[in-house]
Amino acid sequence: MRIGVFICHCGSNIAATVDVKKVAEAAWGMNDVVYSTDSMYTCSEPGQQAIEEAIREHKLHGVVVASCSPRMHEPTFRRTVERAGLNRYMFEMANIREHVSWIGRDKALNTLKATELVRMAVEKLRLNRVLTPKKIPATRKVLVIGGGVAGIQASLDCADAGLEVVLVEREPSIGGKMSKLDKTFPTVDCSSCILGPRMVDVAQHERITLYAYSEIDSVSGYVGNFEVNIRKKASYVDWEKCTGCGACTEKCPSRKTFDRFNEGLGATTAINIPFPQAIPKKATITAGACRQFQGKKCGVCAKFCPTGAINHEQKDEIVTVKVGAIVAATGYDLTDWTVYGEYGAGRYPDVITSLQYERMLSASGPYGGHIKRPSNGEEPKSIVFIQCVGSRDPSIGRPYCSGFCCMYTAKQAIMTKDHIPDSRSYVFYMDIRSPGKGYDEFTRRAQEEYGAQYVRGRVSQVYPRGDKMVVRGADTLLGLPVEVEADLVVLAVGGEASRDAPKLAEKLRISYDGFGFFMEGHPKLKPVETNTAGVFLAGSCQGLKDIPSSVSQGSAAAAKVMALLSRDMLESDPQTALVDIKRCIGCSKCVKVCPFGAIREQDLRGQIKAEVLEAVCQGCGLCNATCPQGAIQLSHATDNQILAEVEALLCQM
Amino acid sequence: MATQEELKKIILDVLPDVDCVIGWGPGPEPLCASPYFMRNPEDVDYLLAGPASVHNPALFLPEYKGRKTGVVVKGCDSRSVVQLISENLIRREDVVIIGFPCAGVVDASKIAAKLGPYGEPGETERAIFDKDALNLSLGGKELSIPLSEILADKCSRCKHPGAVISDYFAGEAADALQVKDDFTDLAGLESLPLEERFRFWEKEMSRCIRCYACRNACPLCVCRDHCVASSREPHWLAQANGVRDNLMFQVIHATHLAGRCTGCGECQRACPVHIPVLLLKRSLGRAVEQLFGHHAGLDPESRPPLLTFQMEETNIKEREW
Ligand SMILES: Cc1cc2nc3c(=O)[nH]c(=O)nc-3n(C[C@H](O)[C@H](O)[C@H](O)COP(=O)(O)OP(=O)(O)OC[C@H]3O[C@@H](n4cnc5c(N)ncnc54)[C@H](O)[C@@H]3O)c2cc1C
Ligand code: SF4
Ligand code: SF4
Ligand code: SF4
Ligand code: SF4
Repeated sequence: MRIGVFICHCGSNIAATVDVKKVAEAAWGMNDVVYSTDSMYTCSEPGQQAIEEAIREHKLHGVVVASCSPRMHEPTFRRTVERAGLNRYMFEMANIREHVSWIGRDKALNTLKATELVRMAVEKLRLNRVLTPKKIPATRKVLVIGGGVAGIQASLDCADAGLEVVLVEREPSIGGKMSKLDKTFPTVDCSSCILGPRMVDVAQHERITLYAYSEIDSVSGYVGNFEVNIRKKASYVDWEKCTGCGACTEKCPSRKTFDRFNEGLGATTAINIPFPQAIPKKATITAGACRQFQGKKCGVCAKFCPTGAINHEQKDEIVTVKVGAIVAATGYDLTDWTVYGEYGAGRYPDVITSLQYERMLSASGPYGGHIKRPSNGEEPKSIVFIQCVGSRDPSIGRPYCSGFCCMYTAKQAIMTKDHIPDSRSYVFYMDIRSPGKGYDEFTRRAQEEYGAQYVRGRVSQVYPRGDKMVVRGADTLLGLPVEVEADLVVLAVGGEASRDAPKLAEKLRISYDGFGFFMEGHPKLKPVETNTAGVFLAGSCQGLKDIPSSVSQGSAAAAKVMALLSRDMLESDPQTALVDIKRCIGCSKCVKVCPFGAIREQDLRGQIKAEVLEAVCQGCGLCNATCPQGAIQLSHATDNQILAEVEALLCQM
Repeated sequence: MATQEELKKIILDVLPDVDCVIGWGPGPEPLCASPYFMRNPEDVDYLLAGPASVHNPALFLPEYKGRKTGVVVKGCDSRSVVQLISENLIRREDVVIIGFPCAGVVDASKIAAKLGPYGEPGETERAIFDKDALNLSLGGKELSIPLSEILADKCSRCKHPGAVISDYFAGEAADALQVKDDFTDLAGLESLPLEERFRFWEKEMSRCIRCYACRNACPLCVCRDHCVASSREPHWLAQANGVRDNLMFQVIHATHLAGRCTGCGECQRACPVHIPVLLLKRSLGRAVEQLFGHHAGLDPESRPPLLTFQMEETNIKEREW
């Protein structure tokens, strides 16, 4: 075998702490290496051309590049060697940047380690075999999970481009947080006026199938061919028959049900339609609140429903769909702010969240758009906003900035003045973070035009005095303690990953960070891709963001899906597990351990043997590690290759 | 002996429906019985089920997979049968399991130590086990050794002397015993510093002759001809007999048995050079017990935890948050 080795400087990223030339020299002495050199930026056009020329000139059979993490550039270099006529799997990469130059300062040791990694790559490459991808058909259909503004955008864009879309939303209506907002920054336009039509478009689009009040039960398959089980949760109302007339909700005697849509501001009925513009506009029974389910005789709703849609016996139903791609757009939830004893931990009715305030401001909300103190219904004159509640606070495990609270607080201060001209607003803040077109101007307007008084400092305590709330803190600019008597306190609560996001991530087999936000493929270059082929991200599930950014991501994810499904056939990755039939004793340990269901038993002349479904196999290697006989090998990382790498390391010691 | 007679009756009943019944019969010398395959009614006469029945007959079952086979089991053997079933290595419906109340089996090396002054154990002329003692004549001397002094270590920590699973049971089945396994056998080794422990194994492994008796005696080592120890593709081990590869082989053996080994001790018993290989398996077995609360060979429906995959293990917190 004739191997060529290319050691990259990565500008000074590697060259500063690794003697690149020395590594390249050392490579000359390695088994089968017939060419070795260093290059400034191997991934650049001249860098890649040099590889292609070397392959032709030195008749190379395989190439090793020692540079950065394969995550980004392995595909790049595989294409490079392919252009020069090699099989793309006759390529190995040694990571001497993330694994060496960036983490060690000692140049001599770094150089040694880089050399060893190159030797390992060479030894592995010597055992590489030519692998050929198979063509697999793709289903031209996309699943969007989460019907917030990001998911809605992705669905509409995909559907407009001609793809079939299945949109799954776990609440009874789509719309997400945006449907709860009154107005939106920075233009202060009415949220439901701009979102409502989009929601209607979803309902009316011929290529969108909406499953509201549904969740993802399980996902199997692979890019182009996912099979998804959707659990339609029992709403106890036959939505085929329900016309959304609301007769049931008027008559339902259980009127103290927690109102999820209105964030618990006011109560609703056990059977309810979350809000007038809901899509779909269908009734749902909250079993925990329904008298019938408590064993009391009721069934009033059933009596008054003109279409006979009520069905207390309804069960969850599983629907199976086949899709070629998946967009996760599950958004965020408000952080639990009741952990803060200093803000009353939820005990004081006049201390509310920003999202409750949005519902208060909304004309279709439970207060009819009037700002009132929940305790006594009076109009508040002094309102205190506290920013960064549950954000930038390592003590509760939320060290990050939620990104949108500064902006929506300014919006809410403006709205407050609009609603109650003789009111005074105070905003306690840590910093004002308002980058974005027109954003800084917006927060200034709140202060300069609308007279909101911004106080820089943390609030140490909120407590009642008479029928007022006292807000105590420090003005860190003046260096003085401050105390404000407030009629209403609004907490600008930050966001966290949507409930059970990690569970969904496991089903989708995508990574998530320590907070439960889904991980993008690359923070800069693959912001809406994941590292699982065919699964994309949009909106706040990837990290908190405001509406413009969520919508942009929705469109971006849609573009990625369109590019993927623009072809009828996809290439399957040939880096899979393979069974050596002779060695396999049919114990099925691999079948049970494979997380992707990629192995099945086959009957081979009366003997049970394992069989890998190549298109399903992700090449994770679990079966390989499990099979006692070593009867399953990974085509691109055989035991012998791993052992060769280990030997390469050991022979240096 | 009453049990033995009852066992014979059961076997005679079972025999017409099975290929053979595996148990124990007379061995090459009076002190130990041999694995015994009963096919005809007259074979059953020679059955020996008692302190000399040291072998684990479960060892042979995987070869009989697909054929109906009877097997007489001590408590420990029955756990191997359960483990084989749970791993799909044999089928429950293929085996007829015959249990009896085991009173423990002898440890040949303990007997040899006792007999030392009188002669070679192999020269024993006559050996009779009664309830509490082994009576034998050797070198013209009549000797009586209390059973309690020569029972295998595993028997002293045995919770299930009666089969944990059986289709027939000779005699009275008893509840599990309240014995605690506190791994005292590991304590000495574990009190040593790491390097000394390693030196201990290096020394032991320098004696290993790679005969694979330990592997071949293990009822759960089902790969046999396909063992990675002797394969080139993949080539995990050199065939060279050296400490490094010998130890590597034992480590592979022990790892493949983590959470599967029921502690029957056959590997160690089979070793011709007396290497305490069971220690490795017991150590890993304990780790699996502690981490996953899994006990091998008790529940045919359970699965060895190391042969399962979960993103998030209950007791291993990889990303606590
Ligand atoms: C008080 C407040 C005021 C705000 N004001 C503004 C503003 O004025 N302007 C602005 O730009 N931004 C504002 N924001 C930010 C805005 O809410 C977000 O940018 C936007 O909602 C993000 O949209 P999304 O689709 O990513 O997530 P979401 O709106 O959270 O939607 C996610 C959807 O996915 C669903 N879902 C979650 N998990 C699952 C699952 N497992 N299966 C199925 N469905 C699931 C949810 O039910 C939800 O419908 C404000 C935020 C708050 C808290
Ligand atoms: S684990 Fe190995 S031996 Fe067992 S069925 Fe799978 S491939 Fe065959
Ligand atoms: S490598 Fe093995 S365990 Fe992993 S997906 Fe493929 S078949 Fe399943
Ligand atoms: S370990 Fe238990 S079942 Fe096995 S021989 Fe000893 S006493 Fe009998
Ligand atoms: S039985 Fe003993 S000597 Fe033989 S391979 Fe096993 S440990 Fe080595």
